[in-house]
Amino acid sequence: MANYILRKAEPKDVTDILRLIKELAKFEEMEEQVKLTEKDLLDDGFGDHPFYHCLVAEVPQEQQSPEGYNVIAFAMYYFTYDPWIGKLLYLEDFYVMEDYRGYGIGSKILKLLSEVNLNIAVKTRSSSMHFIVAENNTKSIEFYKRRGAADLSSEEGWRLFAIDKEDLMKMTAK
Amino acid sequence: MEYKLRKAEPRDVPDILRLVKELAKYEDMENQVRLTEQDLLEDGFGDTPFYHCVIAELKPQDASEDVKVMGFAMYYFTYDPWVGKQLYLEDFYITQEYRGLGIGSHIMRHLSDLAMKTRCSGMMFVVAENNESSIQFYKRRGAEDLSQEEGWRLYRFDKDSLVKMATPPEE
Repeated sequence: MANYILRKAEPKDVTDILRLIKELAKFEEMEEQVKLTEKDLLDDGFGDHPFYHCLVAEVPQEQQSPEGYNVIAFAMYYFTYDPWIGKLLYLEDFYVMEDYRGYGIGSKILKLLSEVNLNIAVKTRSSSMHFIVAENNTKSIEFYKRRGAADLSSEEGWRLFAIDKEDLMKMTAK
Repeated sequence: MEYKLRKAEPRDVPDILRLVKELAKYEDMENQVRLTEQDLLEDGFGDTPFYHCVIAELKPQDASEDVKVMGFAMYYFTYDPWVGKQLYLEDFYITQEYRGLGIGSHIMRHLSDLAMKTRCSGMMFVVAENNESSIQFYKRRGAEDLSQEEGWRLYRFDKDSLVKMATPPEE
């Protein structure tokens, strides 16, 4: 399996993006946690102000999945801001369908993202890509470490926190 | 002592940088701040803002006093592929002598209002594991430690690693 293209996602891709988000969530045993709809993805990614960006990998007809899918991988990212160094690229979701792994698609996507990141960097003073990985996802951790990723949770003791909507609403009450 | 909270404006950039450095100093990392006022101006107040700020400003007692900016919160919007928009709290700091007066709580309420208005499904942030007082501040308000509960660890590719992964420049 050699033929595929990597490209920026377009509005027509939201169906596939949602499908792949659910597949990745299923891989993490969290499929029922996906509340987003195709409409949300459309409004949020392809409106005046995109809240996320996606790269997708597409194969030709001859290589489509048994269910008939052509879009077989995606990476979702957006830009964050580090108050010490400025703009960063944040890699949010990154998934290649099982049958298409081991062909270098993941590496190619990461490479493209590095270039996106550096294009920003050329205009700014620095660049870095951040992302989180579940501590038990050894394969992914190795994939990233082989490419130079540093575990900031380990090295700098950062812990990720979240306040959910219910608790935010409690804070809005006067 | 009266203060008010407001959206930062371009003229606040020197104070934002000053407070970013004060917070970095509090973390013993002051020399790591590379950003300049120019960067903050372009990145926060251009066509596409990459960050937003809420400022806490002390009202002067009389006409001879200057307005003083003594706290800030820097945030931006992120995207959770399961539930959508999140408000991401990046920096949050009140100058020491103004702590314990409820300004931090007020900022949290302001950010919560904002999150609801912009239809965010949550607020996220990182805290250093040894920052006990901040951890308690957030936990009292319902924050969960996802690193603990879900095992998430924060990773980074620095510029060198990115350059190595990217296509080499043409000869």
